[in-house]
Amino acid sequence: MTIDEVGEFATVRRWLSAVGSHWNRSATDADQQRRLEVLRRYCEYVERDPDALVANLLRETPTGQKIWLKRRRAEMARIDEFEAVVADRDARAGREAGNAVRSFFIHNGVALTATPLR
Amino acid sequence: MEFKKVIGLRRSIRYYQPYRPVEREKIQMILEAARIASQAVNSNWAKAIVVNRDDMSEEDRNALKTPTTTAQLDLAPTWIFWYGDMTAPSRGQTTLKKLVDVGALNPSHGWSHAYVDNVVWTQVLTPIMSDPGTLAVVTAVEAGLAICQAMLMAVDLGLGTGINAFNTAKAKEVFGVPDHLIGLWVQLVGYPAESPDGGGQRPREAFESLYFEGRYGQPFERDPEVVKDLSADGMLQPVAPQPWRQEEVRALARMFGLPE
Repeated sequence: MTIDEVGEFATVRRWLSAVGSHWNRSATDADQQRRLEVLRRYCEYVERDPDALVANLLRETPTGQKIWLKRRRAEMARIDEFEAVVADRDARAGREAGNAVRSFFIHNGVALTATPLR
Repeated sequence: MEFKKVIGLRRSIRYYQPYRPVEREKIQMILEAARIASQAVNSNWAKAIVVNRDDMSEEDRNALKTPTTTAQLDLAPTWIFWYGDMTAPSRGQTTLKKLVDVGALNPSHGWSHAYVDNVVWTQVLTPIMSDPGTLAVVTAVEAGLAICQAMLMAVDLGLGTGINAFNTAKAKEVFGVPDHLIGLWVQLVGYPAESPDGGGQRPREAFESLYFEGRYGQPFERDPEVVKDLSADGMLQPVAPQPWRQEEVRALARMFGLPE
């Protein structure tokens, strides 16, 4: 999957648009490309496309959408693993990559976060 | 701090200085404030377990989180787990008679030991205790009054605080909580890393849509002079968001390595 192909997924378009409107600023092209590249690498790492990643964590119920909590925990653990792989040479880069992936999930309605650095 | 300002400055703080512990005496003051809150039948409905974040294993800490109570738990150094004690009314016969003895409940208002024994105990407290729905509501409300005082005391002491959901089943196992206590909230306490005013007072529904006079639906008219006085006293403060809030949140997220 190329970066351009990643950018075509509905969940990715929703993510980029929501990040821009939440923070009230458009990402620079370079920032956007960096985020898409991280997500592309994550998709490759877990062997799923962006829409499938989100769909795997949400389920429709008569009262609305719910999050599969066990799957969410597993996804958080996979993001931590991915972060560690990227952080092999640069801890900050690892956290930034992990947070780009987390941001993708968050702005698609899946509440998750990272352990704060302290 | 002036009382009105304490009320005005209370926010649910979600970013704490993780490295700065809270002095033990301040935690005691918070608990002391809770203990003397208004409590039905003068029984203590609220019970609390104080836990230092760093005394817990990472596994337990993570298991106590819910999907929306996450980073703030990792950041706050002290956690106070609040519980409602469903056995509180069972002490009512004794605690009410104590109120009669100390001159709080008086014959001028119809109170006596006989009234407590023959009427209140049999007609009020026993039915409450035998109806789980009513008992849960009363317990939660009464414990909530104590928790409110605990929060305001934390603000008065210059601390950040906020109440959050937690995994009550896990807490029961980790802290050995007995069955008669209902898990309510975990109150986080620490020194705020964000601005203590949290970027402004939270937007609320209009005063007139909440409070009525005479009958439901007829708004209690809000006097602008009172609003002006309360603003001058610091109880009513600028409503969020302050213009700098987004930048503050972004800076905090980057400082703590949290997602944006």
